[in-house]
Amino acid sequence: MSKNKFSAFYKTFMRELKRMGSRPVYFLGTVGVMFFCYVFFLSFMSEGQPDKMPVGVVDLDNSPLSRQFLRNLNATQQADIVENLSSYTEARKEMQKGKIYAFVVIKDNFEAEVLSNRRPKITFYVNDAYLVAGSLLLKDITYMSELTSGAMKQKVLKAKGVDESRIMGIIQPVSLDTHLIGNPWANYGVYLLNLLLPGVLQLMILMLTIFAIGIELKEKTSRLWLRTSDNSIFVALMGKLMPYTLVFTLLGIIGDVLLYWYMGYPVHSNILWMFLTTFLYVVAYQALGILIIGITPVLRDGVTIAAFYGLLGFTFAGFTFPIEQMPYVAQIFSYLFPIRFYFKIYVNQALYGLNIAYSISYLLALIVFTVFPMFVYVRLKKAAIYQNYPIK
Amino acid sequence: MKNSNKDMSLILRFISHIRAMFYVFIDEVKNIFKDRGVVVIVILAVLVYPLLYCSLYMNETLVDVPVVVVDDSHTAKSAEFSRHLDATRDVKVYSKANNMHEAELLFNTSKVHGIIYIPADFDKKLNRGEQAIVSVYSDMSSFLYYRALILSTNYVALDLGKDIQVQRLNAMGITGEQQAVISEPIPYESVILFNEGMGFASFLMPAILILIIHQTLFFGIGMAAGTAREENRYHELVNSSVHRGGIFRVILGKTLAFFSIYMLWSVYLLGFIPWLFNLPHIGNPFTLLEFIVPFLLASIFFSMTVSVFVPSREIQMVLLLFFSLILLFLSGISWPQSNISGFWRLFGWLFPATFGIQAYFKINTMGAGIHEIVFEQTGLWIQTAIYFITTTIAFYGQIYKKRNEIQQ
Repeated sequence: MSKNKFSAFYKTFMRELKRMGSRPVYFLGTVGVMFFCYVFFLSFMSEGQPDKMPVGVVDLDNSPLSRQFLRNLNATQQADIVENLSSYTEARKEMQKGKIYAFVVIKDNFEAEVLSNRRPKITFYVNDAYLVAGSLLLKDITYMSELTSGAMKQKVLKAKGVDESRIMGIIQPVSLDTHLIGNPWANYGVYLLNLLLPGVLQLMILMLTIFAIGIELKEKTSRLWLRTSDNSIFVALMGKLMPYTLVFTLLGIIGDVLLYWYMGYPVHSNILWMFLTTFLYVVAYQALGILIIGITPVLRDGVTIAAFYGLLGFTFAGFTFPIEQMPYVAQIFSYLFPIRFYFKIYVNQALYGLNIAYSISYLLALIVFTVFPMFVYVRLKKAAIYQNYPIK
Repeated sequence: MKNSNKDMSLILRFISHIRAMFYVFIDEVKNIFKDRGVVVIVILAVLVYPLLYCSLYMNETLVDVPVVVVDDSHTAKSAEFSRHLDATRDVKVYSKANNMHEAELLFNTSKVHGIIYIPADFDKKLNRGEQAIVSVYSDMSSFLYYRALILSTNYVALDLGKDIQVQRLNAMGITGEQQAVISEPIPYESVILFNEGMGFASFLMPAILILIIHQTLFFGIGMAAGTAREENRYHELVNSSVHRGGIFRVILGKTLAFFSIYMLWSVYLLGFIPWLFNLPHIGNPFTLLEFIVPFLLASIFFSMTVSVFVPSREIQMVLLLFFSLILLFLSGISWPQSNISGFWRLFGWLFPATFGIQAYFKINTMGAGIHEIVFEQTGLWIQTAIYFITTTIAFYGQIYKKRNEIQQ
């Protein structure tokens, strides 16, 4: 950069800093929103996994054995018996009210039938409308049932004089040894927060990039902006957006630090790779912001498009519903979202700690996004000079 | 005579109020359709969003998640395990690897999302009557991979185990009744009530649909108010004569405009879309109506109250779009409501979406009647009352400010 260009850049940069102090939207839209989200999500999911969820019981037997069974249920990690109900109908109503996520029905004569080997059935009802609560409770209840009946089987076999070493082979001939790679506790926060927070970040980057540029067009200050940067749209954009690059990268890295260090979420690679990814991610979304406001140099339209695109990012990241299970067209579209590549890098590096070679192509993909603004330089410059777009 | 005159004038005044309100209503509807920005939000977005999201999540559950099997046992039994696994709906065997190293390579390049390792002594152990162990390595990048893998491998292990168990017990001379007692002393049955298919769209979409109503109203009303503010025509909102009846007329006229548009949208969003995409829709239409009326009113008054603080057209969306996500979590359909801390639960009660999502979920997914959603319905009516009052105060404040400015 020549000396002239540099001084133009510096002047534009300083001008933007001044502008950022002039309205609350700049502070609120960067530090304000991100800190609110950090506080909200980290406190919201501080448990890691929802434990002790309310369940109900319909104990029609009320015998020592049925009570023992319920005590076992209550001792599991996820279930908390909060209601004693008199019938299936009542329990179902309580479930519809959302007061319990599951209930168990123990028939009368339960104990008597167990003792006389008549194998009474126990039925669990789980509400899977609340998918997370339902799935976790189902897993927990199944596990508990297996344990309880395993203990009973052991007793019976021992009584029959079966050799200790052979008992497990009879109770459970094929057993599974499950390894949860990267997230051994199946922590729910790890699934969500590692992408939700970058998700909010991309939304705010898009919004503020478009706002910072669009407001110049709307309030007809764009000529002044261009003049400050020596009539170079490139310098004008660099000078204007650099403050946001710094702020958002810093905010993103604070997010990384909060997740990996404060919350102790898995980071099996060098954390610097995630810092680098965060930086490239910020720049990629700034570039997309320029692209959008360049295509439609009307602030209102830019904001609306950014809203649409930004919200879709949460879906196309693929962290809730995997991309390859979506319709084929959707899979192609997912490449248009930097958050998709962020997710891939995060999984490879932080979650699995793979060699960085596996992520190089995704890092490069993030860099490719920075080329996009080139297509709208001319258009944006014209808009800045002629101010010939509607401002409403 | 005098009395009836008074009656007449009362009726006339009433009629004139209604007429005035009607004009504000017509005016407001026209205003909405004149503003391209508002139309994009309250018409286009409402139309397109549900179609788009429902299409993306069309596959409710994961089908044939690819896994790789490392079979060091190379026996008929181990092949059976892998064949059974392949036959499940959730998982398919993408390939067989010769060793763990090969399998890891496939895993690292995301070709597969799980590794099944069958050790060399698998068959030997089974023949000796011992417990054979199969190792499962699951991709944890998405909750749904994990669930698919755990469900299918558990199923196969139990299924295969059952046959072997019968053989072993038979060999020991334990048969019939006795055998049943050992293999299953207490039969368990798990019944899934509501969202029986455990579908992802069936779980998420109802909440999204309510959020679409809440958020498009919020941003639509906000943008309309921002425009008015920018063009400095707040006087138009309140008409020329600012008397006591005037302000209510304006508020009710605006409310009526958005209310009638969104009543139509409710049929589309809460009736048509769930039917079209086969999302849960077991709700009674009258119960839905009893919920949707206070929900729309509360959302409109809430948005109008906030709109007073919106200085320009775009600011609200720039700053508050992210809040859609917060609302989704506050509603308690993902992270269960019972596990939301007291503070955040109270905070959630500020927003009509929180009650709205729960109520709609309960009615339409779980078939709840009005008695089961009394809590949510009461909450929505209380919000309607409170936000109506705050709207009135806020509008009065605006007029007062304007008047002062004019006088100066």
